[in-house]
Amino acid sequence: MNTIPIGRASFVLALLFTIGGVGAAIAQTLSYADAIEQLAAACGKDVQKYCRGVELGGGRLKACLDANQARMSPQCQQTRMMVYASIARRAAAQRDIGNICEADINRLCDTSHADAHLVECLLSVSPVAMSPACSQAFTDTGWRTERAQQ
Amino acid sequence: MIRHQIYAISALILAVAFTVAAADTRLSSGQITNSLAAVGDTPKLDLTAAQMRQAVQDNIRNYPGAIPTRPLTFPQLANLAQFTVEINFDFNSASIRPESYRNVGAIADALHNPILLGYGFLVIGHTDSVGGRQYNVGLSQRRADAIVAALVDPFGVNPGVLQPVGMGEEQLRDPSHPTSGVNRRVQLINVGKKFCFGRSGEQFVCQ
Repeated sequence: MNTIPIGRASFVLALLFTIGGVGAAIAQTLSYADAIEQLAAACGKDVQKYCRGVELGGGRLKACLDANQARMSPQCQQTRMMVYASIARRAAAQRDIGNICEADINRLCDTSHADAHLVECLLSVSPVAMSPACSQAFTDTGWRTERAQQ
Repeated sequence: MIRHQIYAISALILAVAFTVAAADTRLSSGQITNSLAAVGDTPKLDLTAAQMRQAVQDNIRNYPGAIPTRPLTFPQLANLAQFTVEINFDFNSASIRPESYRNVGAIADALHNPILLGYGFLVIGHTDSVGGRQYNVGLSQRRADAIVAALVDPFGVNPGVLQPVGMGEEQLRDPSHPTSGVNRRVQLINVGKKFCFGRSGEQFVCQ
């Protein structure tokens, strides 16, 4: 057995995200599209069985998956935790980046501009020039990888 | 033996062809972002969601029939940056089907892109012509509401920048095939800057 089975790999990934949730730094978050696609793939059958017709939004699907977790397939269990941790982490970073990076922005950027200019500035700055908290949060926003793909 | 090999190779080529086709049709958030990015300074939109809902009702009253005898148009929206996404729902329901979760996530990725930061969007739901027109207005409104609800939670989009509107079947994309699936769609329209942000990211209404 030289290769890690996919199931095992996603379990390790889930574990990393779980650990990340309680403090340690993780490499990066998933895009929302990739995250929720993984949930649909891993939990689609369980959703049809236990949460049929439950809406994705308003916290309803997550609540239903949480309530039925004992009955879910192991694959869905693991993916569900990883996916919602990644989504929450990215959303929090995108929401709080201005506060987390305030000192870095004042130090590194031309603050006569605001809005998207400040994100542009952070994109142009080397990650090592940023404080670790700001750099991690900026990575978590996904804006570095998104820009690299464009 | 040789024949088997040829079959195997053709199967392989077919598999590759299908993979490429599937990759091409997969919606990327970059496509949505680029299409929704405002071109220049958009003048302030002189049309509210409430006025659009009223126009839908007027269209049903003034042009009755199984399908609209005149399609509803909004000239104010024609030149605004927009993008149309296919999202599948359970039949007669506002529950988004799991195969469409990805597209909702891709919309969220786009709306969180710094280029679109602070812009407002109409989220317009359209149905096909199956079912009564009034019923379809309600159904498409509930579906547009459901998409907005998902964009807000779990995907963290600011609810203040989203306005859901149900258009029913008043703007069929393919009026000659009114029951066709191409009519069922969600349209996102950039209606201009809603919020500005200060130096530390604090949000306020633009002047």
